[in-house]
Amino acid sequence: MAADVNGDTAAGIRASAERIMALGESSPRFARDQVNLPIVLNWLEAIGDTNPVYTDAEFAVASVHGGLVAPPMMAQVWTMAAQGQAREAGDPTGEMVKLLDAAGYTGVVATNSDHVFHRYLRHGEHVAVTVSLVGLTGPKRTALGEGWFFTTRQSWYSGEEIVATMDFRILKFRPEQGVSTRSSERQAAAGQSGGPGGGFVMRPVVSPDTAFFWEGTRQGELRIQQCDDCGALRHPPGPMCVRCGSPSQKYIVASGAGEVFSYVVHHHPPVPGKTLPLVIALVQLEEGVRLLAEMPDISPDCVSIGMPVRIGFMRIDDELSLPVWRATEPPAGPRELPAVLPDMTVDVTATFVVAGALATRDFTPVHHDRDLAVANGSKDIFVNLLTDKGLVQRFVSQWAGPQALLRQTSVRLGVPCYAGDTLTFTGRVTDRTAIPDGDRYEVQVTGRCSLGDHIIATAVIDVPERT
Amino acid sequence: MTGSMRAPAAAIAGIGATEFSKKSGRSELRLAAEAVRSALEDAGLRPADVDGMVTFTMDSNAEVAVARELGITELTFFGQVGYGGGAACGTVHHAAMAVATGAAKVVVCYRALNERSGRRFGQVAIGAVQATTSSGIDNGWHYPMGLSTPAATVAMAARRYMHVYGATSADFGGVAVADRRHAAANPSAWFYGKPITLADHQASRWIAEPLRLLDCCQESDGAVAVVVTSLERARDLQSPPAVILAAAQGAGPDQFTMTSYYRDELTGLPEMGVVARQLWRQAGLNPADIRTAILYDHFTPYVLMQLEELGFCPRGEARHFIAGGAIELGGRLPLNPHGGQLGEAYIHGMNGIAEAVRQIRGTAVNQVPGDGAVLVTAGTGVPTSGLILAAA
Repeated sequence: MAADVNGDTAAGIRASAERIMALGESSPRFARDQVNLPIVLNWLEAIGDTNPVYTDAEFAVASVHGGLVAPPMMAQVWTMAAQGQAREAGDPTGEMVKLLDAAGYTGVVATNSDHVFHRYLRHGEHVAVTVSLVGLTGPKRTALGEGWFFTTRQSWYSGEEIVATMDFRILKFRPEQGVSTRSSERQAAAGQSGGPGGGFVMRPVVSPDTAFFWEGTRQGELRIQQCDDCGALRHPPGPMCVRCGSPSQKYIVASGAGEVFSYVVHHHPPVPGKTLPLVIALVQLEEGVRLLAEMPDISPDCVSIGMPVRIGFMRIDDELSLPVWRATEPPAGPRELPAVLPDMTVDVTATFVVAGALATRDFTPVHHDRDLAVANGSKDIFVNLLTDKGLVQRFVSQWAGPQALLRQTSVRLGVPCYAGDTLTFTGRVTDRTAIPDGDRYEVQVTGRCSLGDHIIATAVIDVPERT
Repeated sequence: MTGSMRAPAAAIAGIGATEFSKKSGRSELRLAAEAVRSALEDAGLRPADVDGMVTFTMDSNAEVAVARELGITELTFFGQVGYGGGAACGTVHHAAMAVATGAAKVVVCYRALNERSGRRFGQVAIGAVQATTSSGIDNGWHYPMGLSTPAATVAMAARRYMHVYGATSADFGGVAVADRRHAAANPSAWFYGKPITLADHQASRWIAEPLRLLDCCQESDGAVAVVVTSLERARDLQSPPAVILAAAQGAGPDQFTMTSYYRDELTGLPEMGVVARQLWRQAGLNPADIRTAILYDHFTPYVLMQLEELGFCPRGEARHFIAGGAIELGGRLPLNPHGGQLGEAYIHGMNGIAEAVRQIRGTAVNQVPGDGAVLVTAGTGVPTSGLILAAA
């Protein structure tokens, strides 16, 4: 269907979208392969997931699954189009893209991808996918220009049974003059509806008196200056002992444990490189000195004076890692029993980007062809969304244990993560409820790269008692 | 407290200012020159009489640039006082010392800024963390972590103060309400005719919790200047002299600029305590002798801490002092009768000195009756300064 004569008006776009919505689900399209171990292994290697329920038959038989299963996040992978294969005529995504292109909304950026997993697939199952248009909002002012958001739903069936769904939200916008066409900045602007979090980072000036501290954060150590003569500890450090006057200074590596002495929740104005609201805590270390740092993974409602925290390190780039505070105990607050997930760092080499794209059967050139990516305004090839979602699954299941069941994920895209960067995942529990045989956790996950927040996700995961 | 009292040697003989606005439409140098000219006219002095000039290190107008504009010919004393708004009373302190020692006879102190239409201090100043100075290194312990605005730095101390003493956001709001009520009657104030209620304060948005928008002073364009000369000479000039009974600067132990977070407690302002002890000793006065106080009010929580640090009330009890009406006109210690920096304008504390002089002369719009001395303070959270002025 080409854009009709009314297609360039809001009413026309809405009317066309309603017609597409009324068509409901497209006819099912079958996966090339049945669910099978070799394809699973390709995916596991690329993502770095080592959960034995996918590979160790003995472990899997004894597990909650009773046998080998496929990673739930692979649902989409099974039905990805083959290399060189065009989108089928009548596919709602293609229809919406055509309609909005014709109305001048030629820019495109993916903003959200939300999954629900009803059950894990077993080897030998043959899934089929349907697609439908489920939402359209617009025209809206966005940082990129005026645009429309539309959402498609893919549903994966095994026989008559829905095993998983994905709602995929796309922004089609009318590029504005003066707005960068560089995909990095486009993504940053689209991911930025809630605040800043851009690429610029305020860096400390390092002097001969303070270099040891910043060398420590790079190495994952919290170093506190100690006088070589009288043993006095001091932070922030300086060239001369304030107690005995000695210029001879060394350092100790602090345990990294402390208590919040005071804190600020910064709302305004924007702070370069940070997402607002921003929690900054002044912490009394158990060694007796104080250190100020951001608390990146905590809800402002959950911070209190006296709460125990431990140090963490946020890698900015090769030169700089910043100290951060993380809650050590579930903080008291409206959310029950929060906890913090161990950080996960991924070295995003070009090989990683390409391996991830191919293992998720995503043949879009910007994920493997550097020249083409640069010609498109990108700095380099960048990590594809399916790999990102695989990393989210790996991150939460590393923390929750091999038998935990991923139920739901909701991913919002931020800045791109180019080859050569590092992705650091941090996460915290935002909710826990009792379910039969275990607990259901809601986890908030952030994946940061040097440009800022790359993805922000929530995941719902069921943890059986016997894990 | 009279042991070290000293005979006053200097006085403020003239005050001048531009209008206070959000967009002056002219250069900071022109604002400075206008305010200095107006202060000299108020004193009945000519530019050629001026032989000393003092400003803030943060001022963008060099002493010689302002001197050039006004035809001030020779300067025998000039200087700049550091630490942001902490410099305000320090400029007068330096001028009074210059006069007392004979280094200069007539010293002009000025501050001119397009703080709203030009560089806004409330935004993140990236240059502050890139400076290869000790201050730049100090900022490296706070800015990269996201603590990078004046409001946020004050919020850290305010949160601790609330925790230790049980103060609330509404207690801070009492200061804003009083300032704005006073400003509402001051035609020179930006918020002339615009009082607020405590409900307005409580409904205002968060800037840096626990600070709300109405806990933060406004941003202003404008300039203020004062003329300092010997008391003897001031007696012969056209405006009644405001005698400098006491003038002092202060920095405390383990002092940082806005981030003195490594002291035992965060609930006081030890640098203001250093100033206070000198002021009381020099003037031979105590808090009960003060008729009205102009306390630096860039952020409300530090007004509570100043009341305690200066000895107007015991530690932790400023909220009761305020709730009891003490800081209102007609109260025990009317606070900022011109409306302060929350109500009149943010001229880095210099407009507070001008108000103190008007209170001494009896020419203020919200004139506080009596002939008692007037206390003025400068920036808080930074190395700071203070004055006690009285009629001759």
